[in-house]
Amino acid sequence: MRELVVDTYRYRQLIWALTLKELKVRYKRSVLGFLWALLNPALMMVVLTLVFSTIMKFPIPHYSIFLLSVLLPWTFFSQSVSYAVDSIVGNGELIKKVAVPKLVFPVAALSSNIVNLLLSMIPLAILVPLMGHPFYKTWLYLPVPMAALIIFTAGITFFFAAANVYYRDVAHIVQVVLSAWFYFTPIIYALDFIPSHYRWLFKLNPMIYVINGFRLAVYYGLLPKWPSIAASFACAFTTLLIGFSVFRKFQDDFVFYV
Amino acid sequence: MSDQKLLRNPVAVKLENVTQRFRVIHERPDTLRELFSNFFRHEVSYHNFDAVKDVSLEVTEGQMLGLMGRNGSGKSTLLKIIAGVYKPTAGRVQVEGTLAPLIELGAGFHSELTGRENILLNGLLMGYSKEEMEEREQRIIDFAEIGDFIDTPVKQYSSGMHTRLAFSVATEVDPKILIIDEILAVGDAGFQQKSFARIQDFRQAGKTIIFVSHSMPLVTQYCDRGILLERGSIVADGDPTEVAEMYKNLLSPAIAAVH
Repeated sequence: MRELVVDTYRYRQLIWALTLKELKVRYKRSVLGFLWALLNPALMMVVLTLVFSTIMKFPIPHYSIFLLSVLLPWTFFSQSVSYAVDSIVGNGELIKKVAVPKLVFPVAALSSNIVNLLLSMIPLAILVPLMGHPFYKTWLYLPVPMAALIIFTAGITFFFAAANVYYRDVAHIVQVVLSAWFYFTPIIYALDFIPSHYRWLFKLNPMIYVINGFRLAVYYGLLPKWPSIAASFACAFTTLLIGFSVFRKFQDDFVFYV
Repeated sequence: MSDQKLLRNPVAVKLENVTQRFRVIHERPDTLRELFSNFFRHEVSYHNFDAVKDVSLEVTEGQMLGLMGRNGSGKSTLLKIIAGVYKPTAGRVQVEGTLAPLIELGAGFHSELTGRENILLNGLLMGYSKEEMEEREQRIIDFAEIGDFIDTPVKQYSSGMHTRLAFSVATEVDPKILIIDEILAVGDAGFQQKSFARIQDFRQAGKTIIFVSHSMPLVTQYCDRGILLERGSIVADGDPTEVAEMYKNLLSPAIAAVH
């Protein structure tokens, strides 16, 4: 774990350069370029808002905000994992030729998505007053669930990035797992909708503790209770510990398999 | 002279009983399906192959070492071990000071980024800081003779421009140890001369150079020590002219077979 912190700090300039490279390559050859990082979530929000306020009416007021408050963090999670799973294999040619700490690649994939997550909060902040939803002071609390989410995501990405080096199926399996995970997480619905005798099953999903804080702060204007915050960080750090340990154990052998 | 150098100067690169073993899996299962089917048929077969076998080597500071050997003799593997790309299966590797590996020029270049952005990225990959690279940027551009193309994506470069820029980045960063793998045939005659002049400067500045080449004249002309690798082991170590002679003899049966 110390190695992760020390190396991330030591190679921060390299990580940042790789992050910019990823963002640049992602938006290359598009007229609007980097603006897409803002436009993408904004347009998605427009679509969702139109659909849920006119066509499908849910008994939840301001459903689009209810949804987006956790959909944006979820999108960050799923995109980070999808990008990072290929981060070692995709940089294989480089790894074979230059002695470079392997962790910079998943970390850079993650940090380019952090940039996207932060940018996507801007259209949400605009949408909230537009919808007539109160803009709560609890927005200020968002860095806390964001930290937990990023730590949790880092753990998952380290694990899958390493696993994908050995079995390329992992990249495909991850996509299936992500879409199943999406429906098992209270994103388009609330945990209250689940019959109470099944609820314990959903509570095994670490993701709910991690993203819970987002919905409470943005939609309800509430702060999570201490046990819930503790649970989110416990899940996040446990995941990171496992994911990074696996990554670290195998990182010296990546070069032979990429 | 070179003996005195050996005595006086500290060690720049030290390898102790280094072995690099590759597991050559016959049709390595790349997918789970293959893994399962092989598992059930008990067919995960492989053999071990030592690309570098129990090699011990000391390169003193300021030495220019010429590494010779046939294809597959372990030269590139040895360079990658010294450069830190491979962590050897057994043995110890010690490298004193910064090292610029010119193993494959422009390995860190990304085709969508401009020359300028790639200078920075490549430098960071070699472990230099952003400030250090910015300070050297103009010199790198000048030496590479890239001119106005520096802000064009690298994918539009000619292969000559590509290698010139890469060579320029790798040598301008002022490493203490330079590893050169068969890359001196880059660019036109003018640039080749420039690169040789630069390597001479490196030598005069007392830097350590490890040089792989199939060109015996180059090795005998520039190096002050020659090493011959054969099947992953050092079979000769000493005066470059003598070692080059041995290398020639090693090759002659193969050449005779062709004629």
